[in-house]
Amino acid sequence: MDSAVTSPAETALKGELARADRALNGVAPVLEHALASDGGGLVNDLLVARVRGMVNDLARQLEAWRSIESHDTSRLPDKTPDRLTHLLITDTPILRHLHASAIEGVLTEKLDRQSGLDPVLSSLWQELIASEDPVVSETAMQALAAQSRFMQAQRRMQQPILDLPPEVLERALRIWVRATNVDEEPSVTAAMRAIKSDYDEAQSRLGLITRLVSSMREGRIAALELDHAGLALFTSGIASLTGETRERAVLACHNQQVVRLAVCLIAAGLDRSAIEQQVVLLDPANTTPRGLSELSPDIARALLQKSATKGQW
Amino acid sequence: MERQTALLAARGRTDESDQLLSADDALADLQRSCGGAMPGALAVPELLDVVQQGRRIGLKLSREFSAFDGEDIVSGTVRVHPVDAAKGGGCELLIENWQRRPFPEVSSRELAKRMDEIDKACAEFSIRLDAEQRVQLFQSSAPEGADLETAMEAAPGSVWTDHVMLEGMDHRQPLHWRLLDGARCHVPGSAREWRARLLPLGSVNDAPRGFELLLIADVPFAMAPEMADPEAEQGHSQLMSGTLAPVLRQPIARIIANAETIRARLAGPLRAEYSEYAGNIAAAGQHLNALLDDLADLEVVEADDFSTASDSIDMGDAAERAAGILGVRARSKNIEFVLPVRENLPKANGEFRRVLQILINLIGNAIAYSPENSLVMIMPECDEEEGLVWLTVTDEGPGLDEDQAARVFNKFERLGRDNDGGSGLGLYISSRLAQAMGGSLEVTNPGEAGASFRLSLPIHSGE
Repeated sequence: MDSAVTSPAETALKGELARADRALNGVAPVLEHALASDGGGLVNDLLVARVRGMVNDLARQLEAWRSIESHDTSRLPDKTPDRLTHLLITDTPILRHLHASAIEGVLTEKLDRQSGLDPVLSSLWQELIASEDPVVSETAMQALAAQSRFMQAQRRMQQPILDLPPEVLERALRIWVRATNVDEEPSVTAAMRAIKSDYDEAQSRLGLITRLVSSMREGRIAALELDHAGLALFTSGIASLTGETRERAVLACHNQQVVRLAVCLIAAGLDRSAIEQQVVLLDPANTTPRGLSELSPDIARALLQKSATKGQW
Repeated sequence: MERQTALLAARGRTDESDQLLSADDALADLQRSCGGAMPGALAVPELLDVVQQGRRIGLKLSREFSAFDGEDIVSGTVRVHPVDAAKGGGCELLIENWQRRPFPEVSSRELAKRMDEIDKACAEFSIRLDAEQRVQLFQSSAPEGADLETAMEAAPGSVWTDHVMLEGMDHRQPLHWRLLDGARCHVPGSAREWRARLLPLGSVNDAPRGFELLLIADVPFAMAPEMADPEAEQGHSQLMSGTLAPVLRQPIARIIANAETIRARLAGPLRAEYSEYAGNIAAAGQHLNALLDDLADLEVVEADDFSTASDSIDMGDAAERAAGILGVRARSKNIEFVLPVRENLPKANGEFRRVLQILINLIGNAIAYSPENSLVMIMPECDEEEGLVWLTVTDEGPGLDEDQAARVFNKFERLGRDNDGGSGLGLYISSRLAQAMGGSLEVTNPGEAGASFRLSLPIHSGE
């Protein structure tokens, strides 16, 4: 029988053991999820690896800027500052953006494999480069270069710091200051100033693609033809025509978010058969949700807005 | 569809409090059609968001935006470059892919629905009526709502039209609600104009079971003046006359006094050139002083609450005094005044000090533009039928052509003169003063030689 008196040490051990049991019990479902998702889930090994790689890369770049500004080559930037990495990983908006970037990279590669869609130069992109308007043509060229850098960076699990959206960059910089020792502060401040002066959203990949899509004006609807436009212009086109963020537009292209994609495309003004084409192109196993033809663009837009204010991701 | 390609880019500049300081025409037009001023607070909501964000995080942004300018939907990409505080702060704006497309057509039913929503949002009185339009419930956010509320509470169950005055409707009230919907009315205790909306509750086709009565004012309740726009208010009327002028006047007076001392060789012998230079310094100081006077006056006459006293003025006497004050200057050019005396000239109504100021300005100009050895005529006249008395100041100078006459009263108008130190404000101020006294100032003979300015004032009616 139980002894009437349990020592405090015993109680503590009992508690810790229970915690350890729970941890063990958690392994199976998580493992099952990771194994079963066969690379198709919203979170999988590849995405985790890429996001981790990108965070490390960001931290490395920041450190590199600092050592340039302080002329301090003693601390080589190849060593990742752990504290900074940790803080970056725990920031949701940063994580959200990197996750969306990783998904975009993975989906672009998948479309290349599956349907032979060029990951960089789509036919719409070629048309824009050939535009008679020199401004459009120039923007298209710059955006193309940025897109090609993006695909390469994805394979290397990198994230160029000047390609971040301004909100994300600003968060990263603030976190950087928090992670900085007092003695490094002057060089970090100088490096931040240098980054801020070098940064221009209009010259970042997303900025360039947005400007490119915007220059198509009424013709933006052409970007909603995925095999013609390519994923990068397709998602920016959705964002521009529906008011969704581009991150959410990218996520909508994931096969677990088909409904979101369909609603987005209705909001953008596509008809049912056109929507079906895009959905199937993204994944032949996808089926178009029912009841689409009854949804008006206005209601679709309202649905998206509601989803955006509710959703955290 | 042609309109959209008219413009590719527009630039603008904001300051650290998001005031749009300068902008290309297209942006300035958009700013105005969104209800803003130039310069003034950036009034395009989506642009303001981007500018504020850019300023806050200090990064160069590039965003799509759209705005409604009253006719079309304007959209494009805006690039915002925050400027260092050391270089003035604020942001530079560059708008690309400027595009206009017509506002999508809305069905009249939807439009009516939208108008109802707008009225509901703007109403300062929201009163619930029963089916017979009797007041059931009263809600008000209007600062002047107390009178109406008291009246309605004092007479429970009364019809709402008993408490407000409907414009142009003398019929026995209440009329059918459809006739009253949209009627203009006066609300007791409020100086503003109001519009009544009757929104039926329940089915519209059968008899509604009640109404929501909304009273919507034409203009928002005027804030107390000091609350209205502290910055504009101060910048306008306080800066020169209140702050700068007194501070500047003393050092300028010292410069003039010392320069005069040197010029007159009071402190000992001096070479003639130096004496001349000192004379120039003194003259420049005098100009500065006059400029200060003008700027201070400008603020006074442009202030919203500017008014003049009403004295009974003998125009002939005023002309004589002004001529007396300028006698020395006239004699230096050997100019003579011709000042005929008119018996029984009616007195004018105005502020004597201001009339004198105008006359000194007019006669001073006449002297400045007359050749040497000439005459300046100052002629008092009146027209009792029109109720006006006037003085005409005519010189023998080159005169003004039509174009110049049209511009001469404009603010900072100097008619091509570059170096005489005038501020271009004198005639503008004089004309504003004349208007403030109920009179006018005009050029009577554009195109002829010898400019002729006429100051007319209303005849003083009292004793």
